Amino acid sequence: MRAGEIEAAREDFERAIELLPDFAEALASHAECLDMLGRSGPAKPEYEKARRLWAQERGGTPDRCYLFRQQGRLTFEVESYELALKRIKTGSFPLSASGNALLARGKPEEALRFYDQGLKVKEKDPAILALKGEALSMLGRYRQAVDTFTASLNANPRAPETLSGRAIAFAAMGRLDKANDDWRRQLALLPETQSAARACVALRLADYEAALPELERAIARAPADPYWRLYRLTALKRLHRPLDGTAPPSGSAAWPRPLFDLLAGLSTADDVLAAATSDGRRAEALFQMERFKDVAERASPAMIEYAAARNELSQRR
Amino acid sequence: MFSVIIYGRNDSHGYNLHKRAAISFNALAEVMSDADDEILFVDYNTPDDHPTFPEAIHDTLTDKAKKHMRILRVRPEQHAHLKSKTHLVALESQSRNVALRRSNPRNRWILYTNTDMLLLSRKEGESLSDILGALPDGFYQVPRFEIPEMLWEAAFDRKDPAGNLAKLRDWSMRFHLNQVVHNFMPMKYDALGDFQAVLRDDMFAIHGFDESMILGWHCDSNLAARLALYRGRVDTLMDKAFGYHCDHTRVAAANNKGRKTTMNSHDKYIWNVSSPYIPEQADSWGWPDVEIEEVRLDRDTSYERYTAGLAKAIEPATVPFTSTSCEWHLFDDLTYDLSHTLPFVCDQMLTYPRATAVMVVGSRAEFVSRFATAWRGMGLTGPVLVPRECHLDLDHPAIETGRFADLLRRTDLFLFEFGLATQKEGDPVRTGREASPADRKQLKIVERLFRQAASTESATRPSGRRTPRRFIGVNVIYNRYWPIFTDYVGANINPFCSQVLAGFPLEVPVTMREKILKFRKRAG
Repeated sequence: MRAGEIEAAREDFERAIELLPDFAEALASHAECLDMLGRSGPAKPEYEKARRLWAQERGGTPDRCYLFRQQGRLTFEVESYELALKRIKTGSFPLSASGNALLARGKPEEALRFYDQGLKVKEKDPAILALKGEALSMLGRYRQAVDTFTASLNANPRAPETLSGRAIAFAAMGRLDKANDDWRRQLALLPETQSAARACVALRLADYEAALPELERAIARAPADPYWRLYRLTALKRLHRPLDGTAPPSGSAAWPRPLFDLLAGLSTADDVLAAATSDGRRAEALFQMERFKDVAERASPAMIEYAAARNELSQRR
Repeated sequence: MFSVIIYGRNDSHGYNLHKRAAISFNALAEVMSDADDEILFVDYNTPDDHPTFPEAIHDTLTDKAKKHMRILRVRPEQHAHLKSKTHLVALESQSRNVALRRSNPRNRWILYTNTDMLLLSRKEGESLSDILGALPDGFYQVPRFEIPEMLWEAAFDRKDPAGNLAKLRDWSMRFHLNQVVHNFMPMKYDALGDFQAVLRDDMFAIHGFDESMILGWHCDSNLAARLALYRGRVDTLMDKAFGYHCDHTRVAAANNKGRKTTMNSHDKYIWNVSSPYIPEQADSWGWPDVEIEEVRLDRDTSYERYTAGLAKAIEPATVPFTSTSCEWHLFDDLTYDLSHTLPFVCDQMLTYPRATAVMVVGSRAEFVSRFATAWRGMGLTGPVLVPRECHLDLDHPAIETGRFADLLRRTDLFLFEFGLATQKEGDPVRTGREASPADRKQLKIVERLFRQAASTESATRPSGRRTPRRFIGVNVIYNRYWPIFTDYVGANINPFCSQVLAGFPLEVPVTMREKILKFRKRAG
């Protein structure tokens, strides 16, 4: 495309879209090619579709490191940063950005290499250390992750997302007391305006009394997000209060609709588990069924449900 | 739906700023269709005695632009702590953050642009509010296209934004204006700072612009780098809108010295950014605890305040004209027409903060009381401080009396009036009247207090104040107080008719003797 062979580029993008119809980046570039060829009419719906595809992806929870909220394949971004790296030898930015894109796509080993290179450029940089901690955590190297997060926090103790990363690594190591300390510190640092993030932390702590008002505020700010409504129902249930508003927001996707039905008594546990098509969804379902032991054993430590289940079990003891 | 954030000051930044800005303000308002939309203009560090930039050009703005515009005025005193650290007189990061903090919380989007941009939706008739309203969360940029100086200067009508946008739509094709200039990621496009649409929540989460960037340039690239980290992607909105820039390089702006331009470090602020956040300014960005004045162009304007104040203090003239004289043989006659002079005195006051405390030292009691009436009538809420040493027995709700030495420490602005205490309304003006012993006695007091205030100004400022205070002299032209006033105050040459001089105290007073010696030396 940059070589000026717009028609050839358009054909290549078209082939990529045939292979991967939800490849939003290819759709957007295909649209740009059409636009440059003077075919703006057919380009418009493709631009829109690309945006819709990105928006449909569910990002990470707002209490976690920002990189988990990134949407898309980020293929072109990584390529562009690699191009920049050929010219920029003394800058850590393209390394962090590339690492983030890879980590967000579930490639922690490759991401780790970029972060290590970044730390050679910006030695002991707390932000890059925190990113490295996330990569180590994703690789299951929790001890190293905790050490790396701690090094980052020594340089910048007022970093809510780094505290979240270390708390998850601690919880995965079975150190729930340490994890809860970090989550409490994170909660204290998060401004009141970040109600969704505050709600997530309170849920991890299984502190439903604290979570409830934050969830109400999160719903007011993002009424179409089904999870804030779902978690509000969870909090009400755990606090033994009557459930109201058990319907998911109109137009919400197929998941987590079955969880609303479960809480409303409209479907059975088996139905819900059958509808849960991934490990994450199964963990969400098991949590709503209050099978906390199963969640603690099977879920990813980064999930809200994992921490909440561990705290539920701990409180029972 | 969105808050546009722009900044500037009442100066002459680049070629034909006034036209460029009027075109841009009006065009930005033209693409707004939501009642919550706003144009936040941060007027940064305009001298206190000047109006803000939009006020200075208000007559060239459309009603719609005036309705949507909120001017946030950052005073020189509020910039003083940064003055020694930068060569610039207007700071981008500080300005944009001051606006962000005070932006309408109901708006989902913040649009960063500049005062020479026109935004054109690709679908005719579609507003930017509609476009942004339908957009998923993200960080969006559009490429910037240039408009040759000749085109915008010669063919645009400042008050016809719809017509200007229509012309632009035509020119863009006829003159091949639309050339996208790609750039490295994270910048994506060249001149990216002219259209950066960001979620307001995202800007708060990342702590706004980096306020350590005070040398100019690259603030937009730094923001792009941090938002690219935060969001992962820099999205384009070029299928929806194009951005056009009124090129203005005939004359270099203050921040453009060619290859000698001082800039924020490219490496530090772009290529070594490692986090979207700036924890060191997490609680302080946008100066949350600083009171920033807000000025509107659609209500409570300076003109309305000015006329309201004067209407309370003076009656309209009953004769077609009056007269005075600046002939030299009348040098010692200190009579002047109060009703004629007061409008010029009030003219000096309106641009100051409403809470300003003004010290008034005068000979004519009537001047002081009428001034106090006008002061309150203009909506100024600070006290009129009159030193007890003046022996003016005045009963006015705006006036506070006290010891001169005590009042000095509370004063923000000085007003010294050198008239004849015995002059009454209707007395003839400049006809050769001599001062009476009572007049001379009162004038001596005023002169003594003036010399003391001016020569000790820097030592007597209110606690914490860094900037010098302005002195206004009334009846100080073509009479014996002309040299005395200008010995201490660096004032411009003003027309006699206004009777008023104003300026800041000279660091070292220049006496008449020194002036004569300098003149003799120059004359050889």
